Amino acid sequence: MLFSWDLLLTGFADALTWTNLLWAMVGCLVGTLIGVLPGIGPSAGIAILLPMTTMIPPTSGIIMMAAIYYGAMYGGSTTAIVVNIPGEASSVPTAIDGYEMAKQGRAGAALGISAISSFVAGTLGLVGLTFFAPLLANVALAFGPPEYFALMFMGLSLVISLSGRALLKGMIATSIGLLSSLIGQNPLTGAIRLTFGIVDLMAGLNFISIIIGLFAVSEVMINVERAATHIYGTKIRGWMPTWAEIRQCGPTMVRSSGIGFFLGLLPGCAPAVTTFIAYDVEKRVSKTPERFGKGAIEGVAAPEGANNATSSAGFVPLFAFGLPTGPALAVLMGGLMMYGLQPGPMLFQTNPKFVWAVIASMYIGNVILLVLNLPLVGFWARIALIPFPILGPLIILCSVIGAYSIRFMLFDVWVALLFGGIGYLMRKLHFPIAPLVLATVLAQMLETSLQQSLLISQGSWLIFFNRPIAGFFMALALASIGRGIWLQVRSHAPEIAIDDADG
Amino acid sequence: MRSQRKCDLAAGAFIALLGAVVILAASQIRGDVEERLPPRTLPYAVGFMTLAGGLGLAVKSLRFRGEDPEIRWPEKDGWVRIGVNLLLLALFTALMDPLGMPIATGMYVAGAVWYLDRERILGALLAGAASGVVVYYVFIRLLELTFPLGPLGR
Repeated sequence: MLFSWDLLLTGFADALTWTNLLWAMVGCLVGTLIGVLPGIGPSAGIAILLPMTTMIPPTSGIIMMAAIYYGAMYGGSTTAIVVNIPGEASSVPTAIDGYEMAKQGRAGAALGISAISSFVAGTLGLVGLTFFAPLLANVALAFGPPEYFALMFMGLSLVISLSGRALLKGMIATSIGLLSSLIGQNPLTGAIRLTFGIVDLMAGLNFISIIIGLFAVSEVMINVERAATHIYGTKIRGWMPTWAEIRQCGPTMVRSSGIGFFLGLLPGCAPAVTTFIAYDVEKRVSKTPERFGKGAIEGVAAPEGANNATSSAGFVPLFAFGLPTGPALAVLMGGLMMYGLQPGPMLFQTNPKFVWAVIASMYIGNVILLVLNLPLVGFWARIALIPFPILGPLIILCSVIGAYSIRFMLFDVWVALLFGGIGYLMRKLHFPIAPLVLATVLAQMLETSLQQSLLISQGSWLIFFNRPIAGFFMALALASIGRGIWLQVRSHAPEIAIDDADG
Repeated sequence: MRSQRKCDLAAGAFIALLGAVVILAASQIRGDVEERLPPRTLPYAVGFMTLAGGLGLAVKSLRFRGEDPEIRWPEKDGWVRIGVNLLLLALFTALMDPLGMPIATGMYVAGAVWYLDRERILGALLAGAASGVVVYYVFIRLLELTFPLGPLGR
């Protein structure tokens, strides 16, 4: 896969035809709607629309599907910011500060910075895909199970900073998250664990139901308790972020693009992981980390940027090796194969015109997304003006649809309700919620990579320290844990999650 | 119990108990102990982590001697509102299969909107009807999600 200006410019010429532009626009619009609507994520959305794309020319079809993918990635943040429903795990860090901003009457600014950051990071990610794909694709190959385990372990160590001053409570939240994902069958061996004889538990607890319960259902309970007339008490102030805020978020967008892009090259390193890491890095480099969790605009820009950069990066291993890094890209790969295209090293040689048209259309898709979504910011932010007695039951309805449609099991709705109650109690008792979510998201991959690594090393745990990349991540994780414990030992304050937005 | 310290003590004790239950349950997991990572290892580890976290929280709150913040639990009216809403939600979930998603949705939205604002009877009915119609036409017909249909599916 070699870069050539000629091929890229030809790609732009193909993508800029009126027909392809139209399909890119339709894809962005449909994708954003898919992201906003509960119940259908990017993978399900692309899968539903896949047969429809056969009615249009192949290049237009793939361009439309890629646009749907991007649009859905962006749309998911809207509900997280406006009504605190993160439909995907990757939107959880966005909800932390985005919803706080919305409560301060700044939903428009949060949505605006989310669109701008998504655009910047998406475009930077595409630059990486365009110019450095062959080189970067090899990064993915350097990662085996020990490196994945070390990376996930480092991800898990983020609970230290997500817990704020309440380290013990953060640790408890983490163990509840890990426990939730241990329930059911072991992904590798099939052994049944912690089901207490309940048949429904054998399929495990789905983390989307857990997230919906913890955030959306408990949020409604808090508002019901105080007989709220509106979801936020404050008036909406301004529909857009100020120039000063956009400039302030500039370095954040660049950093989160880098984090999202490089980690997004790794198969299995989902946006759910990269968004948390980007959020944490931003908090650490900030001169005022205490603003995070209380409506810091960088707290929205960072995860949104990382999310879109990860989406762009996913195309590197997909095009270079035919390796989808997540479920949505796997469906997209199915779409490519439906047109007789086999992603992999030969794709660029056999179908260069097509591949470069798709890459060029992604640049255009990013611009279309920004142009479409900035004017819609006011529309989405106005949802908050709906009186709570109407909005509250509608939020619950969206939550129920979202939870049910993951596996079409009523059990998942009950799980969302149960975690709604748990989330309510956690907020009241000042337990941070984000560590629970992070642990739930990481647990399965952590366990699988641990098992695979121990098989490779024949049971030796040194494998995580004597391989350079794994050792580097483990050292970072252990340093982060050590620092957290040291701060906790020195602190004599009561356990209050001072910087959790959930409280 | 409005004292943060007492609430932490109670929460710590409950979580420690949960950890103990998990350890007990982990000891009964069947699987090959000769494996590199036997199936009960991680449940044991997480169980001990939960137990330690719970005990740690309880001990820390027992030893805490500073100013004790207050937990803002709801008043009686607030508990009633939460209870009724949870009941409505549980009914919605339980009726989804027999009545079907569209009808159960309509009933839940109408009921919950009316309960939260008694002066909005017409609004409640309209919101309920609109939600049911949207669920049926958008999610079931257009997006072809396999929601239970109840009598509408016969």
